[in-house]
Amino acid sequence: MSISVATRPAASAVPGQAPTNAIEAKDLRVFYGDFMAVRDINLNVERRKITALIGPSGCGKSTVLRAFNRMNDLVPTARTEGEILFHGQNIYDRSVDAVEVRRRIGMVFQKPNPFPKSIYENIAWGARINGYKGNMDQLVEESLRGAALWDEVKDKLKQSGYSLSGGQQQRLCIARAIAVKPDIILMDEPCSALDPIATLRIEDLMRELTAQYTIIIVTHNMQQAARVADYTAFFMVDDTRTGYLVEYGPTNQLFTAPQDRRTEDYITGRFG
Amino acid sequence: MAADTGQNLATYPEGAAYRRFLQRRKRTGAVWKGLFLLATIIGVLVLVVLVVDVVDDAFGYIALQNRVNPETLVLDYYKQKMTTQPKTLASEDDAILAKGVGARPAAVGFFGNAYLEQNRETLRALPIDGVALGPETVAADAYPLARPLFLYTTQDILRLRPQVAAFVHDYLQTANQTGDAIGYFPLSAEELAAQLTNWGELTGLTTGTAGTLFPASGDVRVTGSSTVAPLTEAVAAAMQAAARLNGRVTVEVVGTDAGFRQFCVEGIADLANASRAMNNLDISACQEQGRIPVSFQVANDGIPVVVSSQNEFVTGLTLAQVRQIFTQAETWDQVDPAWPAEPIFRFIPGVDSGTLDFFVAEVFGTELAAQPATVLRDLLTANVSAGRLRALEAAKPIATLADDELYQLVESEVLKPQVVESWSLFESIFDRQEIEATVATIPNAELQFKSWVNWQFITSPQSSNALQSGIRTAIIGSLWVTLIAFLLAVPLGTAAAIYLEEYNTGRSFFDRLVETNINNLAGVPSIIYGMLGLAVFVRFLGPLTSGLAFGYGDPSTANGRTIVSAGLTLGLLILPLVIINAREAIRAVPRAMREGSYGLGATRWQTVWHHVLPSALPGILTGVILSVSRAFGETAPLIVVGVSTFVVVDPEGPFSKFTTLPAQIYQWTSRPQQEFQHLAAAAILVLLVLLLLLNAFAIWLRNRYSRRII
Repeated sequence: MSISVATRPAASAVPGQAPTNAIEAKDLRVFYGDFMAVRDINLNVERRKITALIGPSGCGKSTVLRAFNRMNDLVPTARTEGEILFHGQNIYDRSVDAVEVRRRIGMVFQKPNPFPKSIYENIAWGARINGYKGNMDQLVEESLRGAALWDEVKDKLKQSGYSLSGGQQQRLCIARAIAVKPDIILMDEPCSALDPIATLRIEDLMRELTAQYTIIIVTHNMQQAARVADYTAFFMVDDTRTGYLVEYGPTNQLFTAPQDRRTEDYITGRFG
Repeated sequence: MAADTGQNLATYPEGAAYRRFLQRRKRTGAVWKGLFLLATIIGVLVLVVLVVDVVDDAFGYIALQNRVNPETLVLDYYKQKMTTQPKTLASEDDAILAKGVGARPAAVGFFGNAYLEQNRETLRALPIDGVALGPETVAADAYPLARPLFLYTTQDILRLRPQVAAFVHDYLQTANQTGDAIGYFPLSAEELAAQLTNWGELTGLTTGTAGTLFPASGDVRVTGSSTVAPLTEAVAAAMQAAARLNGRVTVEVVGTDAGFRQFCVEGIADLANASRAMNNLDISACQEQGRIPVSFQVANDGIPVVVSSQNEFVTGLTLAQVRQIFTQAETWDQVDPAWPAEPIFRFIPGVDSGTLDFFVAEVFGTELAAQPATVLRDLLTANVSAGRLRALEAAKPIATLADDELYQLVESEVLKPQVVESWSLFESIFDRQEIEATVATIPNAELQFKSWVNWQFITSPQSSNALQSGIRTAIIGSLWVTLIAFLLAVPLGTAAAIYLEEYNTGRSFFDRLVETNINNLAGVPSIIYGMLGLAVFVRFLGPLTSGLAFGYGDPSTANGRTIVSAGLTLGLLILPLVIINAREAIRAVPRAMREGSYGLGATRWQTVWHHVLPSALPGILTGVILSVSRAFGETAPLIVVGVSTFVVVDPEGPFSKFTTLPAQIYQWTSRPQQEFQHLAAAAILVLLVLLLLLNAFAIWLRNRYSRRII
């Protein structure tokens, strides 16, 4: 069974008709071998919004993020319990193919990781393996424009992806991700390897992308979360080093009037 | 910097103590550095010694001995050819020749000048290339057929038989006048003085004390050349007439060659008349009998080419015409159309005559390499057995051979040079004089600097003759075997490495079993793989590996000891190496690259094929090349599997018998003859160079590929 394309709202769909939550975690638990990395996560991610996952190191926010597109499956010992509902379908259902999940839910990583190919091929490859039949040049241009990179690279599409600067490489990775037309883009600390100016550009880009995409971002940088995220989820780690969700809500509310004491301590810098 | 607080002072050394401490640490570091340097130097030294040792054996002097002397070969060829021409009379007795030519207007001949002088009225000498025979042209070395005449004896004879010493003394003193009268050309004053000095040194007598020899008594036995005989007889007669010699002088006329034989080998003469100098063969024949020949030049001779005085058409000949007249022309008009179509009657000295030898040497030349192709072809067909000739003809028709190929063939098939002694490069450089002295004692040996590595060595098949032996078969065999090993090990090994790295989760029992075993397989001694190959490929799969199942080979001889068996065995041997290296390379591909691919919705296969493999390829290639080098140099398993020790035919395909370079080297080193050790060293050099080339190619390939993908 596959995730129905028909249920995926088109970009032109009238807002309000489609369900407002893009993806939802229910009682999510992830184990690495016998070790429980996160427990009982319940998270409802809203469509076309930016949701930030914050928390101290080791609190499992990256694990949760990777659970959203079954990236954890690549770790031989990883095991997931609970459900993640994507268009009403549990992506961990036996009948769902992880490959399709990842094509619908794209990912941008902490360190820019373009392929050792030309800029053009970096974009085109993902489209090609997913059976894209349209005009490739057009798709490449569209994706690069979508990632605000077109003007900088349009004259050197044949050059290696590695010839770009760090920030450009990261935007290339974003362009690569949006070229396969996902619903959701997961970003795992996408700016941690970048300088402040490049970081700002990525953040601006993220805001632009919310016109079409739902974004979930993991960040260590609380200012970044405050700047770009519509919603923020705060994670903590308990004595057994298992991560859990403490508080989740609109960013404004979480930063200005946290419901939980631990959230307040963390965002005011008292620990973490 | 001094510390501020007392506590610091107590805890860390400061000041002078710190400097001492620092120095101690640096000393320790220096000792370690020295040890590392030493280890490096030892390593490099060992390598250098190894290479030097190989190079030392791969070059150096050899003493070559031809089974047949090339000059004799050429000489005999022309003598045979000349004496067997139709209408040719060959005689050792010049008097007969002189008479024969004089009697026929269409006759031509040559012999000692003395006989021309005796028959002036019936004979006419012809100028050759416009130069007439006479004392001036002989002295100026202008006449092509002028030569010195010799008297050979030994020092022992001169000392033990005073009558011989006395005879030679008078011979030298009177030869110029006596000879002139009967048609010889006199020695120059210097030449004569040199001969007398020589006589003095050999006999230990001076001009003053020479008188004590006379009057001498006893017989003198002389043999040899008919050309010198009249002079010897005249000298003898003069001595006996003057009562300076009381005894008989016997002069036998048998020809120079036979004279040398009688004098040297049979030892029945005191003196040998000779119309040519001894060559190396003659000298060594004497030395073998314990006689050290010494020579005296007694006169000069010019050989006239004569026709009858009744001949009216020939006034002179060119050297080319002389050649034609005595080896092929049948009538005079074939030589020059202006001459009559009369048959040519030839009168020439016999095969034992020094005059004939000299004539051939001067007119045709005795250097083998300078001979025209027709002569070389004749020499080959005349001196090689019919069977061998058929084999050569099958390899390449003799008529189509180029001149140098023909010469090489004559050299290897007829002359059959053999290495009687060989030296290493260092000996060749530092003991040159000693080597030359050694070679001088070996009869008829030639000293030659030999590079055992040469093109002929690389392109020739194996042979039991070290000089002709090569490594072509071995190189081709090695390439075949390595290719098959490569074809087996690389796809299998890379595939296994991909499974183990990308698909194997390490959780199942099977996965863990495979994992453990592969690492252990790499450590199994190669001979075990040989046993495995013998059992499986040679014995069990014999019908397949011998090619019988595919219709190749001869059922009576095919036994599975073929290239396929060896290649598969080596393939198994290097399989673990390929796997381990490929796994390392695959593991080195960054995780981020895989995640990037999976994150776009790529399958595992797409990720592996498009990203992991291309990135890992340079590393995999490195491993493959290391493994192939290993297979190329491997010997032990092949010996078990059945590498042939002596194959002279190139392998035709995977079902052929074969030998490989290392096996060939092993086989040569186990031979007792020194020259095969040199061959082994040369083959090692070739093996090293091939391996270097292989590795260089791999590095080039890897660099090229790495550049392309980044």
